[in-house]
Amino acid sequence: MLEATPTEQGLALRYGDFATLHEALEYAALGKTGYNFYTAKGKLGYALSYTELREDAIAAAQRLVGLNLERSAKVAVVAETDPGFMRLFYGCQYAGLVPVPLPASVRLGGHKAYVEQLRRLLTKCQAQVAVASQIFLPFLKEAAEGLAIRFLGTPDELLKLPKTKTPLQPSGPDELAYLQYTSGSTRFPRGVMITNRTVMNNLGHIIRNGAKVRPGDRAMSWLPFYHDMGLVGFVLSPMASQLSVDYLCTQDFGMRPRMWLTLISENRATISFSPPFGYELCMQRLGEAPGAQFDLSSWRVAGIGAEPIRPEPLQRFAEMMAPSGFDKNAFLACYGMAECSLAISFPPTGEGLQIDRVDPEPLAQNQRAVQLPPAATSPTQAKMFVKCGAPLPDHEIEVRDPSGRLLPERHVGSLFVRGPSVMSGYFGEEALTREVLSPDGWLNTGDLAYIADGSIVITGRQKDLIIINGRNIWPQDLEQIAESQPTVRMADASAFPVTCAGGEDKTVLVIECRETSPETREELRNEVRRQVLQELGIDCFIELVPRNTLPRTTSGKLARSQAKRDFLQRVAEGKVALPGIRDEIDCLPQLAVRAAAARA
Amino acid sequence: MQPNKDILTQVTELIKSLAPEHQDINEATDLVADLDFDSLKVMKLLEELEDRFDISVPLNLLPSIRTVEDLALQLQRIIDEE
Repeated sequence: MLEATPTEQGLALRYGDFATLHEALEYAALGKTGYNFYTAKGKLGYALSYTELREDAIAAAQRLVGLNLERSAKVAVVAETDPGFMRLFYGCQYAGLVPVPLPASVRLGGHKAYVEQLRRLLTKCQAQVAVASQIFLPFLKEAAEGLAIRFLGTPDELLKLPKTKTPLQPSGPDELAYLQYTSGSTRFPRGVMITNRTVMNNLGHIIRNGAKVRPGDRAMSWLPFYHDMGLVGFVLSPMASQLSVDYLCTQDFGMRPRMWLTLISENRATISFSPPFGYELCMQRLGEAPGAQFDLSSWRVAGIGAEPIRPEPLQRFAEMMAPSGFDKNAFLACYGMAECSLAISFPPTGEGLQIDRVDPEPLAQNQRAVQLPPAATSPTQAKMFVKCGAPLPDHEIEVRDPSGRLLPERHVGSLFVRGPSVMSGYFGEEALTREVLSPDGWLNTGDLAYIADGSIVITGRQKDLIIINGRNIWPQDLEQIAESQPTVRMADASAFPVTCAGGEDKTVLVIECRETSPETREELRNEVRRQVLQELGIDCFIELVPRNTLPRTTSGKLARSQAKRDFLQRVAEGKVALPGIRDEIDCLPQLAVRAAAARA
Repeated sequence: MQPNKDILTQVTELIKSLAPEHQDINEATDLVADLDFDSLKVMKLLEELEDRFDISVPLNLLPSIRTVEDLALQLQRIIDEE
């Protein structure tokens, strides 16, 4: 009978202190732990010990090298939650090649959009090899048509190729460990370049300072392998600290969120992370009183990351799961991004959510986060932010004003980070790299933050990123869908997020439209909405406006933030009906005043 | 190929329970374009279908499913194979 790899390592725990991923796997392979894959209904489907994985990776590497690729050639792998991905990913490490995880996410009616996305990625990363399981291979083949790819097939087909006789030369510390494409948009992908030295630095910190791994730990994850939190946090970190992991595939989690909690209960997992939406999805699907149907008492580190963190839903989750043994102090609110491997800051473990209550007035007026005394005001009067802890030990952070001047504690500004976990740049994108990474190593995170008692507190985003259910959605993608319609011209669309009551982002797409016939306008609206759903899997609110309504910057590029203010203004004046965004309007002082005037 | 009437009825009924109220649903209804089903709603629908018919729906079928009829046909194929 199939048995999951044990929690007990069977060797002395090493905290990620390796020069390369290859070295880390060589060590983990001496123990008994490994990766376990569960089916949609929670049955163990495959147990891949690190010992077996090492052998498989070497076998894959021997075939890859046999293809006579140049060193550091890119190997694109559709990153399904399966053993095949692991074999290829680590195979690349043994072969001195660079794995590029591709999204394994398909949507209803989304055939064309998915194939186009894969094709853009294959082209952008200059893939020499492209691998997918039987399930995804047809899409990959279609995407790769006409591209100069040396090998395209399944992991099994790769293993049928002849082995090389040349001894393997694994990737060294300064060679790329992988390219990560999630931080870019689907239409304009950007591949984050991470070397072995860089990722090992981050892994060491995640293991020692973040999750504070100790013997007896066991990880559980449903996060996709093509995302930084899934890949670095739950594929690489557990391996570099020789922990066993239990995996549920992302779609299966989406279908049956309770399986996440069931598998934690059954396997006595201690470490599991999710964007806030994962915790919220559990609550939605489990109903109001799930009682004591799980045993979550082993769950020591319940990490939260990848999207803005609001305390209320998490506090509700903790209350709801308390009868199942969930400890609210297990919550660990982290901050990070693929451009810094994964992690930038962690609070201490075992202390739960650290909330900073600030006065909303000075925050809105002059971007100062003035702390309110704990009991002095009702929660409605205070703005609550979650502290994401201190930056990683050998990393520096700075909060700067728009002119680049350093701001003191409790002043909101742009957050910059510098340190050994920061990426080398975006692959093949020098100009884009220069925009975010200065020659002296400072990475502009694109996030707005302030520092409180040494802890990073994220308040918003400067970059035009929309986050829906933990997924990054770039406005350019929505705008391009709009602009590809025959009746819409280039630069005649603007997309941005608005915050609804309850705090979640809603995506708004404003399109300039010359058409006057109601039928044509309705058709355009429906067509754009349908394409956005098929390509991005999100719903959006579409507003059609007359020509020359959208603001433009001097460069001709649309100013999304101005477009958003104008939109909120139209909502405030009752010209557009979008229920549920009252909150954000009332947060903008000038708008609230103008809105009141308009209502009067 | 015509989908089995019983499967089609059950699928339609299930989709009705997840769709916006008063939405007219028939075989030709497009799940995404007409009903605005986002990824999470699709997952919820799949869960209910899997449980009701005791099947597992392979992911790679999703991209070619647009309408209620497409979905019913694919389900029937899975049921026949199992």
